[in-house]
Amino acid sequence: MTHGIEITRAGPLVSIQDHGRPGLLAHGISASGPMDRQGYFAAGCACGSADAAIEFGVLGFDFTYHGAAETIVGFSGGKFLLAINGKRVAWPGSATLEDGDRVTISMGAQGNYGYVRFDRSIEVRTLMGSKATNITAGLGGFEGRPLAKGDFISFSQDRVSKARGEGATEPSQPDCDSIRFIWGIHAHVFAPGTQATFCEADFTISSQIDRMGIRLIDKTRVFAGQQVLSLVSDAVVPGDIQILGDGTPVVLMRDHQPTGGYPRIGTVIDADMDRLAQQRPGATIKFQPIRVEVAQRLVRVGGV
Amino acid sequence: MTDSISNDIVPTLMPLGDAGMLVKFSNVLSDMANRRAIGFSRLAEAKKLPGVVEVVPNLVSVLLRYDPIEISFSRLAGEVRMALQNQPDALAVEGGRHEIAVVFGGESGPDLNEVAKLLDLEPEAFVEAHNSAPLRVIATGFAPGFVYCGMHEAELVVPRRAQVRRIVPAGSVLFAAGQTAIAATDIPTGWHVIGRTDFRNFDPGVMPPTRLRAGDTIVFAAAEGIL
Repeated sequence: MTHGIEITRAGPLVSIQDHGRPGLLAHGISASGPMDRQGYFAAGCACGSADAAIEFGVLGFDFTYHGAAETIVGFSGGKFLLAINGKRVAWPGSATLEDGDRVTISMGAQGNYGYVRFDRSIEVRTLMGSKATNITAGLGGFEGRPLAKGDFISFSQDRVSKARGEGATEPSQPDCDSIRFIWGIHAHVFAPGTQATFCEADFTISSQIDRMGIRLIDKTRVFAGQQVLSLVSDAVVPGDIQILGDGTPVVLMRDHQPTGGYPRIGTVIDADMDRLAQQRPGATIKFQPIRVEVAQRLVRVGGV
Repeated sequence: MTDSISNDIVPTLMPLGDAGMLVKFSNVLSDMANRRAIGFSRLAEAKKLPGVVEVVPNLVSVLLRYDPIEISFSRLAGEVRMALQNQPDALAVEGGRHEIAVVFGGESGPDLNEVAKLLDLEPEAFVEAHNSAPLRVIATGFAPGFVYCGMHEAELVVPRRAQVRRIVPAGSVLFAAGQTAIAATDIPTGWHVIGRTDFRNFDPGVMPPTRLRAGDTIVFAAAEGIL
């Protein structure tokens, strides 16, 4: 008997993700991996899996489980509505699935990304050390692409080993509203005063958000009309805040292009990336500068 | 003499986020800055700097990704400065040598004639001039397996096209800005497409997935003459 799940409805941005493939920037490949790592870890803890997850976007997705044996599904990230055979189950959490169970996940109160993980491994090819889908490069995951209705994701027959040392079980609450960043490699190329106005301004999350980046609406026109001379390109890291030629700020995310030639005013600190990824279109954010020494002290004490 | 001049380039060390350091040798692309960047990237890889998990050579800089739990930015900066001081010969970039056979012109290189015309050369003469000197892989990383090779002599410099092509196939050999680039995957580009090669610098099924490294020597050769 076939064992796995059949996708019966897929919103945008449904893809297989795991820890990703860091270390390949020189080869032209960004690391990919979960947009909200805490949500990803929590889903793994809920079902005892360290294997890959299915990450989904704000509109969720539906699937039907097929298998002779029961399997445990764990789910977390944002606040979504999940039902099994039409019966609501509390989010985040876990459940036991039997053959033919229909799971529907739809938009809830919060967040852009959620995760389901299973106590089985997802049977797709491990490519360059990872099962993660890299949408920009069109590789990894399931045929290098987002999942669509009708796709069948096969599971291993054996249960996977327990998740170990995979971080917090509960998504921690942010202790500040602003997004902290470290001044970037081109912070000095903008017009005088830009750094101050950048930190004072409100930015709105636009509707153009995906795994590559988050386009921001610069309501107070911090960057309008700024002419920056052409720059020699450098490697990109997730969190880089680049300013396009028309003044649009874009925060580069997990499937970012590997190199960039647009000026980067700053880089969002690692600890604030998950929270930023979960901000929905229309939300207002502020950027707060933080010194690299302070950011690294936070990492060492394990705080956010 | 040349070496002492090159070693006078003191790189700027900048944070790139809370787990990255950019070691930047220049603000503009020059042969010297590019050699220095590649030379330092090889040194950083060989030395295994503490906490560093990835070394990425760029055109005129090197990104070091590191684990901030293992080492702070300022301590790593000290390690980098020390390594640079002890760098025996900044420009001695030892790299592999690769011969790349290219079909120039025709359907494989629709912009060849235009490029030759811009340079006031016959297509055959352009191809000969293009292939006459070995080039260096000056940067990788733009797309999987993509390489920039340079630098051509000033007589062979043309600007990019006004129009960006939405897609050119893997294997396209691209030309602009005094450089020749090789696409290993289908990509959009504003560069002139002058030819195509069967060589693919990307295989996701093997590790590492690409063969050409920054600093390697590339010799282009015409595969079947000009179509």
